[in-house]
Amino acid sequence: MTTDGPPSAQEHPLLHMFRRKNVLSGLMFIAIAAFGLWVSRNYPIGTTLRMGTGYVPRLLCWLLMGLGAIVLVQGVLETEPPRPPRERSPDDDELAKLRPVVAVTVSLIAFALALETLGLVLSILVLVAIARFATRELKASETLAAAVGLSVLTWAIFIAGLGLPIPLWPDW
Amino acid sequence: MEHFLANLGTGFAVALTPANLGFALTGALIGTLIGVLPGIGPIATIAMLLPLTFHLEPVSGLIMLAGIFYGAQYGGSTSAILVNLPGETSSVVTCIDGHQMARNGRAGAALATAALASFFAGTVATAMIAMLAPPLALVGQSFGAPEYFALMLLGLIAAVVLAHGSVVKAIAMIVLGLLLGLVGTDGQTAAQRFTFDFVKLSDGIEFSVLAIGVFGVGEIIANLTRGGQSRSLLAKRITRLMPTRDEISLAWPAALRGTALGALLGVLPGGGATLSSFGAYVMEKKVARDPSRFGKGAIEGVAGPEAANNAGAQTSFIPMLTLGLPGNAVMALMIGAMMIHGIQPGPQVMTERPTLFWGMVASMWIGNLMLLVINLPLIGIWVQLLKVPYRFLYLAVLLFCAIGVYTISNSTFAVILAAMFGVLGYIFVRLDCEPAPMILGFVLGPLMEDNLRRAMRISGGDPMIFVNRPIALGLLIAAAILLVIVALPSIRSGRERAFQEG
Repeated sequence: MTTDGPPSAQEHPLLHMFRRKNVLSGLMFIAIAAFGLWVSRNYPIGTTLRMGTGYVPRLLCWLLMGLGAIVLVQGVLETEPPRPPRERSPDDDELAKLRPVVAVTVSLIAFALALETLGLVLSILVLVAIARFATRELKASETLAAAVGLSVLTWAIFIAGLGLPIPLWPDW
Repeated sequence: MEHFLANLGTGFAVALTPANLGFALTGALIGTLIGVLPGIGPIATIAMLLPLTFHLEPVSGLIMLAGIFYGAQYGGSTSAILVNLPGETSSVVTCIDGHQMARNGRAGAALATAALASFFAGTVATAMIAMLAPPLALVGQSFGAPEYFALMLLGLIAAVVLAHGSVVKAIAMIVLGLLLGLVGTDGQTAAQRFTFDFVKLSDGIEFSVLAIGVFGVGEIIANLTRGGQSRSLLAKRITRLMPTRDEISLAWPAALRGTALGALLGVLPGGGATLSSFGAYVMEKKVARDPSRFGKGAIEGVAGPEAANNAGAQTSFIPMLTLGLPGNAVMALMIGAMMIHGIQPGPQVMTERPTLFWGMVASMWIGNLMLLVINLPLIGIWVQLLKVPYRFLYLAVLLFCAIGVYTISNSTFAVILAAMFGVLGYIFVRLDCEPAPMILGFVLGPLMEDNLRRAMRISGGDPMIFVNRPIALGLLIAAAILLVIVALPSIRSGRERAFQEG
């Protein structure tokens, strides 16, 4: 109805469609289903009487693919309410949102890799040191205080209190 | 009636031992704590604390975990009323009128109303469990593999109907959960499925790893991306706790209505605390003589939903305890906890382990009584806790998630897996895909496959077995009707309105 083209001048309409949640969810479900089908390609299916290893998984994968396709079509056909042009605030910045995702994930993986060789205390330091980058609000002094406080708390609950066999310090 | 009293007697004998009283109190305290603090829910907490219950007696472990769940319903109202931030999703609607009451200087009355309404609802719901559970378990005992398969299917579909948002997405999430549940060694052929040659995956994905990842880590990431929320604490001093006579006369009928609605919705698969509180708020607005008072501090808007969410939280134990069927994600966790202790959930639990069953039921009432004490006189302590900023909180929660996962599986691989599920959980939140149905599918997946295979073997591969057995057929027809109902556009829009209202 409007003649002045897509809602955002810089953005191609096709690209715009990929920002819709339903389009993305549909694609996600389809991708997971396709991956599942590929992994299970050699699983024996068997018969309905004696179902093989692959019977139920492949059935579910096809079901998921169908559902994903429906969500995708719903997303494509969605009529979007015309969005008022907004100013870009830091809140809209997708890159800024990646910050906590990366910091939290990496801190957990680093904690996992460190735990059995470096012991609990150093691993907590590693976790806190990385996870602090998830937010800009933590000051350096606060981070240090949190690391010390959490070490003591964890020791009190899990090692002194529950007697869990986690090494506190590296064994060298 | 005689049985009823004898059973409760058995239960109280178990629940009143000093150790079990202690576990009920611990659970209630932890529940209140996480209920008050926004950003940590009962699902992640119960998943994190599962390893702590390994060394306990099964009944003690379950008493504590149950305490966390209903304790969270009490605690959630505190931050809703005082800070206008729902501590739990089930207290979202309490924010509306509860916080307005606090602004009008009636914070004490709002808190007292919430606690008393919750206690009343908890008492009624506990009695309902004690009365309804034995006959339901009896029905369950006559079920064979086809009936169980049909019942689980009905449960999953009902969970979809009651979920927020898109129906198709909710079904897709269930299917995804079913698929994740299949990871590991196939119980019948001993073949490996979706394990990518990781030995650690051959026992399947640990339930608590998935739950902590999606609900714990995923929530942390989602909260952090939303940025800092400013909190305005509205309680310098809470002086008068007692509501006035006028307030009481408005509140108690609302609490009655909320209890009835919550108790009913809690039993339904997919129901539970959140749906109950939303439903109760809508209902209070409808029956009120002057609906315009709502949103400006109407006490019914606190009493109704708070009674409803606690009643719903309690009665959602009914299908879990009697049929082994989890109606919501927390009940799925409780089933996981039972299985860790080697208890096969199902109708036989009540007859084979009466002390466990009735001990748990009795402890729920005791726990509710404790919560009344924890919440009213000790309110000041919880208010202090609300002042802990999220930038410290998330570090602590993240660390407890990591240690919790490690202690459950004794493997660092599981921690990495939980981190991956955390990212997945965040993606779900961003794409409006509710993860709760996925957890249900995950728990029910292996059970459903097992029952389907068994049914097929009974019938010699003939799917007509589901048609020839009247109970199975009835359950499947009910599932089909539900599915058609949600698919109809007029009802769908009504459902969406119901969720948005308030």
